[in-house]
Amino acid sequence: MSLAAEAFVSQMAAAEPWPENATLYQPLKDDQILLSDHASSLAVQAYLRMCGLPVQVVCRANAEYMSPSGKIPFIHVGNQVVSELGPIVQFTKAKGHTLSDSLDDVQRAEMKAYMELVYNMLLTAELYVQWCDDATAAEISRPRYSSPYSWPLGKILAYQKQLEVRRKMNAIGWGGKSLEQVYEDVSQCCQALSQRLGTQPYFFNKQATELDALVFGHLFTILTTRLTSTELAERVKSYSNLLSFCRRIEQTYFEDKGS
Amino acid sequence: MAAPDELFCWEGDWGLPSVSTDCLVVLAYAQFAGAPLKLRKICNPWRSPSGSLPALRTNQKKTLSRPSDIIIHLRKQKYNADYDLSAKEGADSLAFISLLEEKLIPALIYTFWIEPKNYVDVTRRWYAEHMMFPLNFFLPGRMQSRQLEKLRLLRGDENLEAGEELEKELYQDAAECMNLLSQRLGSQKFFFGDSPSSLDAYVFGHLAPILKCKLPNGKLQQHLKSLDNLTDFCSNILLLYFPRDGRENSGEKTSPQPDAADFDNVPNKRRKQFLSAVFAFAAMLSYALLTGMVSIQHAHQEALEEPPDPEHIGPHDHEEEGDG
Repeated sequence: MSLAAEAFVSQMAAAEPWPENATLYQPLKDDQILLSDHASSLAVQAYLRMCGLPVQVVCRANAEYMSPSGKIPFIHVGNQVVSELGPIVQFTKAKGHTLSDSLDDVQRAEMKAYMELVYNMLLTAELYVQWCDDATAAEISRPRYSSPYSWPLGKILAYQKQLEVRRKMNAIGWGGKSLEQVYEDVSQCCQALSQRLGTQPYFFNKQATELDALVFGHLFTILTTRLTSTELAERVKSYSNLLSFCRRIEQTYFEDKGS
Repeated sequence: MAAPDELFCWEGDWGLPSVSTDCLVVLAYAQFAGAPLKLRKICNPWRSPSGSLPALRTNQKKTLSRPSDIIIHLRKQKYNADYDLSAKEGADSLAFISLLEEKLIPALIYTFWIEPKNYVDVTRRWYAEHMMFPLNFFLPGRMQSRQLEKLRLLRGDENLEAGEELEKELYQDAAECMNLLSQRLGSQKFFFGDSPSSLDAYVFGHLAPILKCKLPNGKLQQHLKSLDNLTDFCSNILLLYFPRDGRENSGEKTSPQPDAADFDNVPNKRRKQFLSAVFAFAAMLSYALLTGMVSIQHAHQEALEEPPDPEHIGPHDHEEEGDG
């Protein structure tokens, strides 16, 4: 979001309280949504539940195109539309709901850095496994991405998306990596998160923050999504404190879902 | 003893051992870990074994290009600057390096390669002056289009163009990143205690070009200079680990200054203009002669033939009038 638009949204946001009919849009759950999108969507859902803000999840086939930035998920609150976790956190902060108030400066720096770690390593690895690994792309990603559309539109869109993701991987230097190296990076990232979490219930003291929501969204999705190989899930499972962390958040905030 | 590995990297300027961020990261890490490397400072990426810089050619003739790969290789050779770090500090390193990559690199790309004044006056000029003929004609342009594409892919926006709004967004992210780094560093000498680690190498590699290079649009530099602990951190590393580069390059800085005032910086401008004018005139004249628009010999012959006729008649008239 541009700076002027951000300031405008913050101003408008501060004016009204959180309505009852807020909705969160994501692609179709059973047939269409992919690993990385589901992880981002779950992270936002977890964050909103942690703030105690009610939101309805609505599945639409064209959610990606409806979103103002092209990324999933986005929320429709009152007469405003905000996408991605970062802007949504700022949006809720403008409405007076925030989870990271009690952190001091150094802790906030660490929180932001660890969030970037998840975006930089986990999200990129998810995208790589989905689109740059030929087996997964052919069996899972392309069929799912093209499922709402008829032939040949679905095929064209799926290949277009794959090309776009591959170009991005090349630009950031992941194009030359092998699948094994990507799994190594995921292990390293999980090790860093596991170290930071230690034996605490949440990453910062006893209170959940947006970092907890983000980590939960990604790890839970990796653990519960079926891919062509279980290697990714195995790498995450080898860190027991991360497993218990996911279970704890699921029980605390998603108990009514019963997934 | 095995021969040391060879590292190919960009040349240095403005008091730095190298102008490229990735090269600086590798050089700093090698210094911190005490790794003996044979340095090859070149200005021609085509001469590097991988086609891009930095590039490490190991003893086993393998070529590594990514800074993270090079650092992992050096660690395997037992040159490890992170040996003393605790597991939590290692995790923090990874997190802050990700922060640098996500928030600071887009602003760096923009300020050196996309911002029009900076690119034309400083970046393109530096690369064109330091590269050999004929690379200096097309390679800087190609590097710029690659950087623009990288920025477009990083931001996820295919139609990204240089502009004030984009600049403000990127610089705001970068300023926040620098503030976070400054808060984490506090009043310590290095990020984790008294000896530098890989995180210090990464932070140095990214901040040193901003600090040292004089750009026309220097907003990032202004913000960095306002954070004293980061400025001292960079100067400290330069002083302790790269003393020769700091002294060498400060002497050369005075000579390019007078040329900077020259608008076009073309040598022998007057002579070239004169020669072009003479060449154009000669070309036009020879064309005219060859097609017959101008014919010198014919005009001379006619001038010799015509005047005698009136002179011949004149005296006859005089004689006739004189008699009658």
